[in-house]
Amino acid sequence: MLSVQNVHTYYGKSHILHGVSIDVGPGEVVGLLGRNGVGKSTTLKTIMGLVRPSEGTITFEGRSVAGAAPYHLARLGIAYVPEDRRIFRLLTVLENLRTGLDRPGVPPERRDALLAKVYGSFPVLRERRNQAGGTLSGGEQQMLAIARAMMLEPKIILLDEPTEGLMPRMVAQIHEIIDVLHGDGVAILLVEQNVRLTLEVSSRVYFMEKGVVRHHAPAADLRRNDAVIHQYLGV
Amino acid sequence: MTIPFDLLLIQVINGIVTGMILALVASGLTLIFGIMDVVNFAHGELFMLGAYLGSTVFLTTGNFWLALGAAVMGIGLLGAVIQTTTLRPLLGRDPLTTILATFGLSLVLQNYALWQYGPVPRKINEPITGHFSLFYLEYPWYRLLVAVLSAAIIGGLWLFMKYGKYGIWIRATTQDRVMAAAMGIPVPLVHTVVFAIGAAMAAASGVLFGPLTGVNHAMGLDFILRAFIVVVVGGMGNLGGSILAAIFLSLLEAFASIWVSPAQAVIVSFVVLILTLLFRPTGLFVPTPK
Repeated sequence: MLSVQNVHTYYGKSHILHGVSIDVGPGEVVGLLGRNGVGKSTTLKTIMGLVRPSEGTITFEGRSVAGAAPYHLARLGIAYVPEDRRIFRLLTVLENLRTGLDRPGVPPERRDALLAKVYGSFPVLRERRNQAGGTLSGGEQQMLAIARAMMLEPKIILLDEPTEGLMPRMVAQIHEIIDVLHGDGVAILLVEQNVRLTLEVSSRVYFMEKGVVRHHAPAADLRRNDAVIHQYLGV
Repeated sequence: MTIPFDLLLIQVINGIVTGMILALVASGLTLIFGIMDVVNFAHGELFMLGAYLGSTVFLTTGNFWLALGAAVMGIGLLGAVIQTTTLRPLLGRDPLTTILATFGLSLVLQNYALWQYGPVPRKINEPITGHFSLFYLEYPWYRLLVAVLSAAIIGGLWLFMKYGKYGIWIRATTQDRVMAAAMGIPVPLVHTVVFAIGAAMAAASGVLFGPLTGVNHAMGLDFILRAFIVVVVGGMGNLGGSILAAIFLSLLEAFASIWVSPAQAVIVSFVVLILTLLFRPTGLFVPTPK
């Protein structure tokens, strides 16, 4: 469904991605692991159109989307949850959700159903719906960032380190919501530092090093044999 | 020395009336700055062209309200064209380039108006000509109407920004352009629409202001200078702050002109501007939710 082939990306003169290739099938949860600064976040940003690749192809459902505008990609069904969450701090929780909900072609019943669904998964967001996004705790902001992405009814969510800095209870909740999304048939490309979570939720895992994908294996194999994980992550 | 109460009250009303028009011009300016980081030096010319377009429609139809509507629509459209052709290609570049672009645009528009309409000021007649007695003065109803209409337009903008679907898009884009785009908000379109709204508001103030001073090609200059002071004192990009600052500065000038001539009273605004830049460079007023 999403296919990234030999993508090169630069920030100014620094060459960040040196030919990254990744595939995500429909409804598949795929992990992307690697040490800090190997280009995992840049890979997601490049897919989302926030950084322009200088070389390579990105196709989504058969159409070429490399260099397309982010809002166009969002309308096609790609949602992005950035590492720093990027909540609209001065908008209320409900207004944050409405940024994704107020798109053309969503009838009122559908809107209500979508809101009811995320409020069901994240009851705290319903309680705080009239509170400014910036006043939420880190964990709540992460919930809101994921809930906001769900408003787009995406076919795939690019999830960048959702558990970073969260307490274990919140991590468990993130795990749960990934399972729910997976159950709904939403594909996920998950960038994480939390190896255990990644192996638990993903079907396949890619390992990145210095701007390229070095290794690629089914999560089940990695759960049995963690030598690869030691090799690429040093843990 | 005591100030007569009637004089004080008259100056309060004068201050509020000018303050509301100034607020109308300044809120367009600050809205555009807030969302695009563009300091629009051509804003005064949009104000002036609005007044001219209004006067043309007024001369042919004799209807003030039609003139106001036509100016708002026409200059709003012009704003959209200016944004797409001149500013959109400069997005993300050094702010200096947009300053040069809008400054150049301001010169072009000003000289166009001089060439098209000539140097003789035009007049728009006020739609209501009545006066009421305010102590020893015959105060024109029209000046109050201007204040009320300006307040209504600003109030409408506020409601639109607070509750409207597109208002939320605008606020989201103002806060985080990149994330707004990632949420499917068509950011280039939002920029164009905001610029058009700002231009339309400038045109509305131009038409409303026309009957008070007459319409000429340089009328934007004086006004825009004061609008810039207001925007800086209120906090760049802070809509509520701009409105408060417009009223605050106009009241201050009105009071000052009890003692000195109105031309000298402008100095007060500059003093406030300098003090603000020295001690509260982010603006006098606490940021309001945007």
